[in-house]
Amino acid sequence: MRDTAAGDGAISPARGGASIRVRGLSKTYGRPPRAVHALGPIDFDVAAGEFVSLIGPSGCGKSTTMLLVAGLEPMTAGRVEIDGRPLTRPLSDVGIVFQDHLLLEFRTALGNVMLQQQIRGLDRDRQRARAAELFARLGLVGAEDRYPWQLSGGMRQRVSIARALVHDPSMLLMDEPFGALDAITRTQIRHDLELLWLDTRKTVLFITHSIDEAIGLSDRVLVMSPAPGRIVEEIRIDLPRPRPAHLGDYPEFARYARRIYEIFESLGIYRFR
Amino acid sequence: MAGRSGRAAVSALQTAVAVVFALGIWEALVRVYGVPIWLLPKPTDFLARLYTDAALIAYHAATTSWTILLGFLLGVLVAVPLALAIVSFGALERGLYPVVVFLNIMPKTVVGPIFVVWFGIGPLVSVFLVFLMCFFPVMVDAMSGFRAVDRRLFFITRSMGATPWQEFRYLRLPAAMGPIYAGMKIGIVKAIEGVIIAEFIASEAGLGYLIMRASGFMDLTLLFAALVATALVALLFNAVLTASERLLVPWARHLQD
Repeated sequence: MRDTAAGDGAISPARGGASIRVRGLSKTYGRPPRAVHALGPIDFDVAAGEFVSLIGPSGCGKSTTMLLVAGLEPMTAGRVEIDGRPLTRPLSDVGIVFQDHLLLEFRTALGNVMLQQQIRGLDRDRQRARAAELFARLGLVGAEDRYPWQLSGGMRQRVSIARALVHDPSMLLMDEPFGALDAITRTQIRHDLELLWLDTRKTVLFITHSIDEAIGLSDRVLVMSPAPGRIVEEIRIDLPRPRPAHLGDYPEFARYARRIYEIFESLGIYRFR
Repeated sequence: MAGRSGRAAVSALQTAVAVVFALGIWEALVRVYGVPIWLLPKPTDFLARLYTDAALIAYHAATTSWTILLGFLLGVLVAVPLALAIVSFGALERGLYPVVVFLNIMPKTVVGPIFVVWFGIGPLVSVFLVFLMCFFPVMVDAMSGFRAVDRRLFFITRSMGATPWQEFRYLRLPAAMGPIYAGMKIGIVKAIEGVIIAEFIASEAGLGYLIMRASGFMDLTLLFAALVATALVALLFNAVLTASERLLVPWARHLQD
């Protein structure tokens, strides 16, 4: 599964996404008597090439779920299968984006993206070509030689997305990637991500607490309860793509959003009178 | 870039004007009040001495510079790996770090006489004192630099399959370079202080030795000339550090601005 990345240098790969299968997954931090049950048990599947969001209140275990699926945290119980194979070590065929851009301040934008090539030992020219194409797709042309502090917040997050995609992974894990951006920037970057996804059909697991973002991007939204988080509802989003900036144009959007609000209210997350 | 070098030239000119102006006032006051040369020499006196006694002063300045270089390099070469070890191993942090902090708080110059007993009068005392003086600021800053890497960055590199060596090379070391340079800039100032004190108490060469000897003979023009030479040595080391930082850590400039 490792380093099969970077096929033909084109952004549209022949390879489809990987499938994710999660069963009985739970996480407890610490040991008794001070153990904190943070997550689960949860079950869900993400089909190859599907865009699935996990939405829930802060601290419900969304981010933990992502780390467990990436094999970056030991799970307490349960199993994760990627393309049918049980996950036993950190997932390599993957790109990760966090809420903070986590770019290296001592590398230029291009240098940050090329970290993938250097650490994985991939072909330099091919990766450069892919990086150039991603920079063009993400509106980063001219930013290649800038350092992170010379870029706006939105640009930094775009570089971070390019870093997660340059090696052509079959899966993208995103933990509130637009959470630190202003509303206008996040609407645009949401759209750009959707177009990129439509072309590449990576499997995406998208963690968010924005209802707009979840409905605006996903094929399915999994709604989580407060900690220890469980998946309380699965909502299939049947909206045409690419979806517009103003989602309120769709009556279905209002229905999906109201459903999520209702669930949050029933869980006591919202207490409106 | 032209603007930057232009601004630098203007600021250098301003500095030169200010220095000449201050020296001019000094010169004038000493002349007007007829202060004797053995009490306070005129700038023209000791600046002339820098020229007439150039060979003598250059010899001692070279000795001092060599001592600083040895002690400083030794300090950095021990401090940076030790900082990495302390940050990497919890046991070291708990066991060794308190000792290091204690040694750091202790005034380093007091160990000078101990070094004299151990190493005798000579350059070793100076080298070790310089080592001690610059070691701590470099180590403390290197530690904070090695620690500064966000934990989630290691998630990203682990997903890339990075080896521990790659994590060090691509994340920890470059992240620590800025702080290491900050520590070295403090360290070099301390190193120069240390070398002069060491040469005061236990040496047969170096600017500290020259200053003590000039003081003994009440040769104030030579003493002031040696002071200027000391300042020039300090400036030289600072300039080398700054230049190498620009070359090796080009991204660090924004942290200073």
